[in-house]
Amino acid sequence: MIRNMKNLSIFVCICTAITLLLAITNTFTAPIIEKNQSASANKALFALMPDASGFEQVDTSGYTLPATVSEIHRETSGLGYVMTLVTSGYASDMVIMCGVRTDGTVSGAVCLSSNETLGKEKTYGEQFVNKDAAAVDAVDVIGGATKTTAAYKNAVKDALNASIILGGGSVDIRTEEEILADNLAAALPAGEEQFERLFLVEVLDGIDAVYKAENGAGYVFVMGEQFAGVLSNGTVVTEGVADPAALSGAVQRLEAVVLEEIDLSAYPDLLNTVLSAKKTPSGNFVVETKGAGYGIKGGNEYHPASGEYIVVRVSMTPNGKIIDCLTVSEAETDGLGDACADEKFYGQFVGKTEENYTEIDAISGATMTTDGYKQAIERAFAALSALRGGAQQ
Amino acid sequence: MEQFKILIVILLSSVFVDNYVLCRFLGICPFLGVSKKLNQAVGMGVAVTVVMLLATAVTWPIQHLVLNALGLGYLQNIVFILIIATLVQILEMLLRRLSPALYTGLGVYLPLITTNCAVLGVTINNINDGYSFVESAASALGCGLGFLLAMVLFSGLRSRIDETNIPAPFRGLAVTLIAASFISLAFMGFGGIVENIFA
Amino acid sequence: MNKKNSLSVLTNGILKENPTLVLILGTCPTLATTTTVTGALGMGIAAMIVLLCSNVFISLLRKVIPETMRIPCYIVIIAGFVTIVKMLVQAFFPGLYETLGVYLDLITVNCIILGRAEMFANKNSVAASALDGIGMGLGFTLALTAMATIREVFGAASFAGASIPFLENYTIAFLTKAPGGLLVYGLLIALVYAITKGKAPAKTSFSCSGCPNAATCHIETCSGKGDEA
Repeated sequence: MIRNMKNLSIFVCICTAITLLLAITNTFTAPIIEKNQSASANKALFALMPDASGFEQVDTSGYTLPATVSEIHRETSGLGYVMTLVTSGYASDMVIMCGVRTDGTVSGAVCLSSNETLGKEKTYGEQFVNKDAAAVDAVDVIGGATKTTAAYKNAVKDALNASIILGGGSVDIRTEEEILADNLAAALPAGEEQFERLFLVEVLDGIDAVYKAENGAGYVFVMGEQFAGVLSNGTVVTEGVADPAALSGAVQRLEAVVLEEIDLSAYPDLLNTVLSAKKTPSGNFVVETKGAGYGIKGGNEYHPASGEYIVVRVSMTPNGKIIDCLTVSEAETDGLGDACADEKFYGQFVGKTEENYTEIDAISGATMTTDGYKQAIERAFAALSALRGGAQQ
Repeated sequence: MEQFKILIVILLSSVFVDNYVLCRFLGICPFLGVSKKLNQAVGMGVAVTVVMLLATAVTWPIQHLVLNALGLGYLQNIVFILIIATLVQILEMLLRRLSPALYTGLGVYLPLITTNCAVLGVTINNINDGYSFVESAASALGCGLGFLLAMVLFSGLRSRIDETNIPAPFRGLAVTLIAASFISLAFMGFGGIVENIFA
Repeated sequence: MNKKNSLSVLTNGILKENPTLVLILGTCPTLATTTTVTGALGMGIAAMIVLLCSNVFISLLRKVIPETMRIPCYIVIIAGFVTIVKMLVQAFFPGLYETLGVYLDLITVNCIILGRAEMFANKNSVAASALDGIGMGLGFTLALTAMATIREVFGAASFAGASIPFLENYTIAFLTKAPGGLLVYGLLIALVYAITKGKAPAKTSFSCSGCPNAATCHIETCSGKGDEA
């Protein structure tokens, strides 16, 4: 028994000695190991800011930063920041890391992960090196991947903006949609921030667009930079409007509009191209026409995969001037032809006539879609002349 | 359900794809040494499976509740090997007392298991891979079953090798290793199957 | 201990009793870490350091360690040195640490180390044990490197990471995979056997009891034990 105890105590002594030895080794290797691990984790950061001497993570809770910014590392000697941004590309989220110097230029950008279709975005970031915010816009688009490119550029701009904010400056980090929503809400508080763009069927001189409050409280007229709110009873609520009476009148006209459906069976020539036609009390026409988009299959002009046409709604004065234009539906290629549903594209037709409607910027990488859209507009003009004739009968 | 799928994937991949013996080279010694006869192979395989499960069940809580909590992660190796050695001793004693029949079947292989790197390997790997307790148990079970499978398959091959006339330099271990190479080659065919089993 | 004797202790491990190719010990790391020369060298040197330290330490304590508790004591000492080596590798050679992974931990259960402790260090002087540790470690390292050279040069057309251009189109990728390791090891053992003409050293001195490998050992003194097991 005593012998066993002695043996056991020797064993315990050896265990203790070894443990002590390990503890000593650990105290001096542990910091090195930790440093190695953080160095390998920071490898990606150094790649984006080669001159950096070290990085530390920034607590972003005290700042209002663009929503895409997910993580920020500050260069310890004050050269700038490396930011991790998460953005929505065409198919899925892209994770972009971007190095930004304090002078407002990009030191490097790389896309860490994306399921984008083209794969070119992997090296795309190199083009941003040494560019400032203005020059970022001018960087070439990835051919055929407009949305991906736009998301990428926006992420880089967000990083530049975030750098300004972290440096104590202020910058408008709102997206275009947010700016519009803010302007609308400011112009007509009664609209409770819910507005929809109105499809115009009447000519309203000097007015770029009209938004209608979804709760029926009134309208907001966009005139250049100015947003003017008008209640549905015609009271102009925004101060400093040049011609309040004109706006009141416009509201009355908008409220009074009742569209008269035109029976298309009287126009057999239009049956294959025009889906519907309406007439306003003032004599303007609103037609919905179809155009063949990408892929014309035999005589059947539609998108081969979905069987859908591009459907366009156009309002025109009797003398053939386009008042407003809207893409009702399309089934064009995602990321390419589907840009025809963007107001930036169809807005180009507003104010055009039969003579000059083809003078618009084509959708890059989607010639067939552009042609199909023009075909739909052409058919609207054809419909107009037929309907005008009918009206005269 | 999702959790169940993960367990199945862990189990199957440690039996087939990442077979400890044939793909990760852990537990090669008993694989070559005790696979001459089928009953030996089964006995050793079952004994290893049992010890792996027990060792994982003990080491996982110790690592997470004691070592990590006290900041003594660097004692992992010493603690684990001592636990395995102790477990093997206790198991052997219990078997000898309680079931002599089982002892002759399994117990005699137990002393060989202490220095079996597959057992230490599976306990350390379970920690390194960040598995939960249940996942660790699934992985230990899978590794043990994979070991058993490899042993049983190989013992069949071994009995044929013993009956053939082999050139002198290849006799013994050389031809055994070459035969093991072919079994390992066959197991490479499982690569990529398990990951997509629920896809 | 005279000079000639100490030299023979050193060279014993390298040639006559090479732990990997003659005694067939430490098979797991031999197969697992020989896909690259760098990994093999790293594993060999790490094992050699552990072997040297544990041999010296155990030899120092050979009169203190009680007979009945010797195996647990050896295991604790070996595991301790393995952990120290592991921490040092992790701190100063992070790349190697990634390559070796769990096999670095598994040096603890490498039969060579426990075998040398049991059969040599607890019977011999500190100096002889140190030499034995270096010799065995060198033998292990050399065997691993030789095997890794074959596997890396012909399997991946590179040597220790440096590519060999004229072999690039003729790689046998199979060699870098698990079955290739087993095959190369088998062929090497056969080659060594052919060269030594089967005159493997008779070694009652080596620990077979701790090695389940005994059943397939060429050495007659070992085989009986394994067959019974």
